[in-house]
Amino acid sequence: MTSITRSMVLGHVFKSAARPSAFARPASRLAQSSLKSASLPFQSARVAAFHVSARKNLFPAPPQRVVGTVNDPTPIKESHPVHGSYHWTFERALSVGLIPLTVAPFIGGSLNPILDSIFCATLLLHSHIGFDACITDYFPGYRMPGLRNLMTWLLRTATVLTGIGLYEFETNDVGITAAIAKIWKA
Amino acid sequence: MLAQRAMQVSARRLLLGQHAVSTGQMMGIRRTVTTQSGESEILIKQRLNRPVAPHLTIYEPQITWYPSMFHRLTGVALSGPLYLFSIAYLAAPYLGWHLESTVLATSFAAWPIAAKAIAKTTIALPFVFHSFNGIRHLAWDLRLGFSKVQVARTGWFVIALSAVTSLYLGLAY
Repeated sequence: MTSITRSMVLGHVFKSAARPSAFARPASRLAQSSLKSASLPFQSARVAAFHVSARKNLFPAPPQRVVGTVNDPTPIKESHPVHGSYHWTFERALSVGLIPLTVAPFIGGSLNPILDSIFCATLLLHSHIGFDACITDYFPGYRMPGLRNLMTWLLRTATVLTGIGLYEFETNDVGITAAIAKIWKA
Repeated sequence: MLAQRAMQVSARRLLLGQHAVSTGQMMGIRRTVTTQSGESEILIKQRLNRPVAPHLTIYEPQITWYPSMFHRLTGVALSGPLYLFSIAYLAAPYLGWHLESTVLATSFAAWPIAAKAIAKTTIALPFVFHSFNGIRHLAWDLRLGFSKVQVARTGWFVIALSAVTSLYLGLAY
């Protein structure tokens, strides 16, 4: 669709170039599928002349789920403060807490193990909430419930594994801030 | 579905023509739209063939949504490697890798200076931008800086500050 818009804008500039070859392609295209965009025969003819590769959408339309009939009201989810305002407050508390934890290593070189652990835990939860927001935005529950569930559980697994990995790194190695400082100054 | 609707409209028109219809009688004729199963299946399948209207590719870059987009992108770009590194560190003994900090430091030290400077600046930029823009977000949560002028000013300030700070961290820290 991107290419249609752009070409419609540029079409008037390249009118003479488009016309001779424009009619060669669309006849076969339209004959192939009677269901496809039969409503724009001439525009697609003009467009067809410019594109040697298939028209690819940025983020093509996902499969549709039609639940019920057109007379049923839109289902509204039950709301709960745990997922609403408490979640918001907790998220901001983590973000605010991350500010001094991030500034301190630049002042002191690196953090001692206890502070580093607190920093890693806060960073991990902050990352989890951020990834969860991405999943909520890009995998709508009403359209693709299975995929949404899968991504949510993948994220939870990944967060737990990352937590274990960070604990191991803290215990057997120097910790995140010290490691970054070591590598940075190397 | 279209045929049914056409039938209902024409039926109502017929009624209007034949009788002097009062409002009460009109209310009795309620238009219902029902989907018949065969037609809706074709419709759902046909919807998949429809092109998606362009969005990200055509919208004018603006100081409102570009920093917001980059805030999310930089966040994912920072947390993704953190997750991957931690999980790789857990799996390293079983895969024969060595991901200890000393090993990483010595192998990074062996890089040419230009490559080190570029790598450090490239890693510092998302970190610094996300941090400064995060502070901007927190200011909005405190109801500060909401007007269009303030959003534009703070946005450009964050971008400039990120550029300068990441250059400092990458080249001179």
